[in-house]
Amino acid sequence: MNQSMTAIIKKDIKGITSNKRMFITLLIVPLVLTIVVPSVFTLVFHFMPEEDTDLQKMLELLPLSMQNGNSRQTLAELMLNYIMPVFFLLIPIMASSVMAAASFVGEKEKRTLETLLYCPLSLKQIFRSKVMASFLLSMFVSAVSFTAMFVVIEAETYLFTNRFVIPDLKWLLIMLLVSPAISLIAITLIVRISAKAQSVEDAEQSSVFLVLPVILLIVGQFTGVLLISSWLLLGIGVLCGLLAALLLKKCMEHFQYETLLK
Amino acid sequence: MNAVTLKGLSKTYANGKKAVDSVNISLACGEVFGFLGPNGAGKTTTVKLLNGMLTPTGGSCAVFDVDPAKNPQKTHALSGVVTEHAQMYDTMTGIENLIFYGSLYGLTPSESEQQGKTLLEELELSHAANQKLAAYSTGMRQRLSLARALIHQPQILFLDEPTSGLDPESAQNVHHMIRRLASEHGITIFLCTHQLRYAQEICTRYGLMEEGRLLAEGTLDSLRLLTDSGMTLKIKASRIPETLLCQKTAPDAYEVPIQSEEEIPGIVRSIVNAGGDIYHISATLPSLEDIYFHLTRKEKSA
Repeated sequence: MNQSMTAIIKKDIKGITSNKRMFITLLIVPLVLTIVVPSVFTLVFHFMPEEDTDLQKMLELLPLSMQNGNSRQTLAELMLNYIMPVFFLLIPIMASSVMAAASFVGEKEKRTLETLLYCPLSLKQIFRSKVMASFLLSMFVSAVSFTAMFVVIEAETYLFTNRFVIPDLKWLLIMLLVSPAISLIAITLIVRISAKAQSVEDAEQSSVFLVLPVILLIVGQFTGVLLISSWLLLGIGVLCGLLAALLLKKCMEHFQYETLLK
Repeated sequence: MNAVTLKGLSKTYANGKKAVDSVNISLACGEVFGFLGPNGAGKTTTVKLLNGMLTPTGGSCAVFDVDPAKNPQKTHALSGVVTEHAQMYDTMTGIENLIFYGSLYGLTPSESEQQGKTLLEELELSHAANQKLAAYSTGMRQRLSLARALIHQPQILFLDEPTSGLDPESAQNVHHMIRRLASEHGITIFLCTHQLRYAQEICTRYGLMEEGRLLAEGTLDSLRLLTDSGMTLKIKASRIPETLLCQKTAPDAYEVPIQSEEEIPGIVRSIVNAGGDIYHISATLPSLEDIYFHLTRKEKSA
């Protein structure tokens, strides 16, 4: 990555962070998902009757390694290690979709795209800079959300059970592999949509469909259809990583200045 | 090596509109070339073709022997472009914009800042260096665009209507700067404008366009040869001999078409011999505007 690309990345990120209203809006949904949702779960676990037989039956279905005798503790671990990880596939995409959707078409609307194209950068370099700017922002929001969620869950669980919940290996895979890879795929596709769109709204509407597979994954996780193991997660992560690299390499191959300025 | 070469350059858009039709031009380094014509004549399309933003549908073009369609990045490194559609960021200040674009051309932030400040001073924008672009007037934006195009010290400047929206004084300053850039720094200027009067003041050579076609190309003197009338003699006199072919424009004011200055003494003598008093006499050469209208009329009648 050269100096020119770094300049575009810095400019794009500053464009979002200096707009306080937009930046706060961008942070609100991830923070609701990572602070409010686990807090609601923790409170429900705390106030629900422990002798509830339906709940006991459900907990008995869990693998033995997860049953530690204390149902509240088990539920807290279930939430942290099985329910919350899928949100972290959604958060980076949501956080960066607004920025990615505006990446090209936003410049076109502000009449700054042509100026950018007159600079001695290839279309591929401009494209990659735009993708990287959104990706870095999404990773930042993801890291902030993870820290906030972790602090909130640990504090609340300790308050109610006098014990901390231990995050398992899945978190490491999610935060370092799956989430960045899925986020990169989504951003690359959204930036490409933005390059072809006629307005920011156009690009945003088309981008919404990219969140659907992740939402289906969340539904699957909640309804118990799909219990993601660490190995499956590692496989998904590697596959997504490869796909992201391929997309980033091939995505702009057929683009020309003329197509972008239309 | 030519600064700009256009060989049978044509561009037809997907909707069938022929924006540029077999244009041939070659410019030497350091020339100030006025590419003139009304809106829709094909000037902006030519600039876009010369910067690789559009691909020619016929012929070819080159900027310092670089084909912009094949190597746009190299062309962009050599050129600076000011067009109406190439704006900068409203949320950034004037100097921030220049530093950003400087870094895109490979300048370090300190180099960009230093160069940016010098340009802002030359363009009388120092006072607004730290103002957000959103607060800039049209004229200030236009001058900042010029500074942006010059930030990397290009070898050629493509200016598409650089003085539109400027007040006369600012336009004059921009013209002085364009002339200085060419004479002192040897920068080739490709100036697109429909303001023929301004172009006549600063350009060394001209290309007159209409509906995508190049009507004529050359220096002002060579273009004047294309018109039928050489000069117009304006006379203010109390009496004019009836034998003198002239047009009365006001009481005691006449215009006489002549081919050369040699005819003037004879005309003066004939007025004096006829008993007329001469209060004023001046010969005017056809302006660029006259030449343009003459050529378009000729083209239409053909």
